[in-house]
Amino acid sequence: MFDLLYKEVRLAAHPNLFVFTFLGILVIVPSYPYGMVFLFGCLGPYISFMYGRETNDIYYTSLLPVKKTDTVKAKFLLIILAQMTQLLISLPFAILRLYILPAGNPAGIEANIAYYGFGFIIYAIFDVLFLTEFFKTGYKAGKAFILGIIPASLGVISMEVLVHIPKFSWLDSVLTDTIPKQLPILMLGIIIYMLSIIIAYKISAERFQKVDL
Amino acid sequence: MYALSVKDLSKSYPNFLLQDISFDLPEGKIMGLIGKNGAGKSTILKSILNLVNPDSGIISMFGSNFRDNEEACKQDIGVVLGGIDFYYHKKLADITAVTKRFYKNWDDEACQKYMKAFALLADKRVKELSTGMKVKYMLALALSHKAKLLILDEPTSGLDPVSRDDILTLFRQLTDSKGISILFSTHITSDLEKCADYITYIKDGKMLKSAEAKEFTKSFEHLKEPDDKSELSLEDIMVRTERRKYDV
Repeated sequence: MFDLLYKEVRLAAHPNLFVFTFLGILVIVPSYPYGMVFLFGCLGPYISFMYGRETNDIYYTSLLPVKKTDTVKAKFLLIILAQMTQLLISLPFAILRLYILPAGNPAGIEANIAYYGFGFIIYAIFDVLFLTEFFKTGYKAGKAFILGIIPASLGVISMEVLVHIPKFSWLDSVLTDTIPKQLPILMLGIIIYMLSIIIAYKISAERFQKVDL
Repeated sequence: MYALSVKDLSKSYPNFLLQDISFDLPEGKIMGLIGKNGAGKSTILKSILNLVNPDSGIISMFGSNFRDNEEACKQDIGVVLGGIDFYYHKKLADITAVTKRFYKNWDDEACQKYMKAFALLADKRVKELSTGMKVKYMLALALSHKAKLLILDEPTSGLDPVSRDDILTLFRQLTDSKGISILFSTHITSDLEKCADYITYIKDGKMLKSAEAKEFTKSFEHLKEPDDKSELSLEDIMVRTERRKYDV
């Protein structure tokens, strides 16, 4: 498994993936819709998949002494690594902003616990739709991206709008007394993300088996 | 034991049918898969490698079923897909560093030896290699993991006569000195005359003949014309078999 991931990072990933992954840092920008971070987490893998198509990455992987489904596994590992790294990169900056930007974020949601929960859900929406559609053919990345990014963007918009509704103002809070209310969202997000990845992998592997390269 | 055995391989596409392809490649021999463009040569090779899902057929490599033992079988083979360049902008050193991780029998010393022998520089990028050098690089990778069977899709197409001769001589050297078995497709008949022990001829998705080179030529004697004094060349056989008249 590590070898597949190593191959993805060293050969298949487009440099843009690293840049977009690093954009987790955007949570330190004052007055910015932090939901954009998650969309960059979807855009990076898409560019890498297109790059992989141009460099015949799938052919290379298919010829290695691995199963055909390992080609799918490699791409899943890359997208999970990129998205989780993006969240990890953002974390210290989300903590730092509490001290250097105590006034909060008037543009949208705070980089709080609920925000990360929504992030997992937005990634999950994109990954299920994008990956399962992509592995129908192994090359139609554009169509798969459109199918994935529209619902993911709607998810981001909903999150950003929700915090402006007074009833849901607790979602926009970084105060410790809102932690018990926000924590279930994070838990739910993590569960949804994990389930989505498992389901998406099963569907994608099955679909890719049938693809004639 | 055969290095490669293909039995009743069939694959249907909406506008093309590959039908009942069967042949055996003995160990240490070279087989040429010949046919005109679009005859189904690449589909056969891709079906053998599980890149294409055949409708039916059994593929065995060194006695083991390829479908059931895909990972183990792939440890022993080297593949060159014609016209498909991997990672155009990457350095050979990067591709080698990744590839070696997947093979149990990888030999770093051998890799350096072949890279040197084929005049390949590790810090060159794939895009900087000529077509012949790309084939040689893939061969260097295959030899570094001690592949026993090489499967090559049109390795000589697009090469000048000197580079073609160079590759074909190398094939012969590999079978003679290392006992490697080679299956390669081509539409250039002189490639086969130069180095093939066995020939398999594919026409419109069907196998016309698969036999040892001399027997192959003999089996097409019915194509001889009254003026022909010597034996038919492979080009004669192919051209006369494929010749068609247009109703214009």
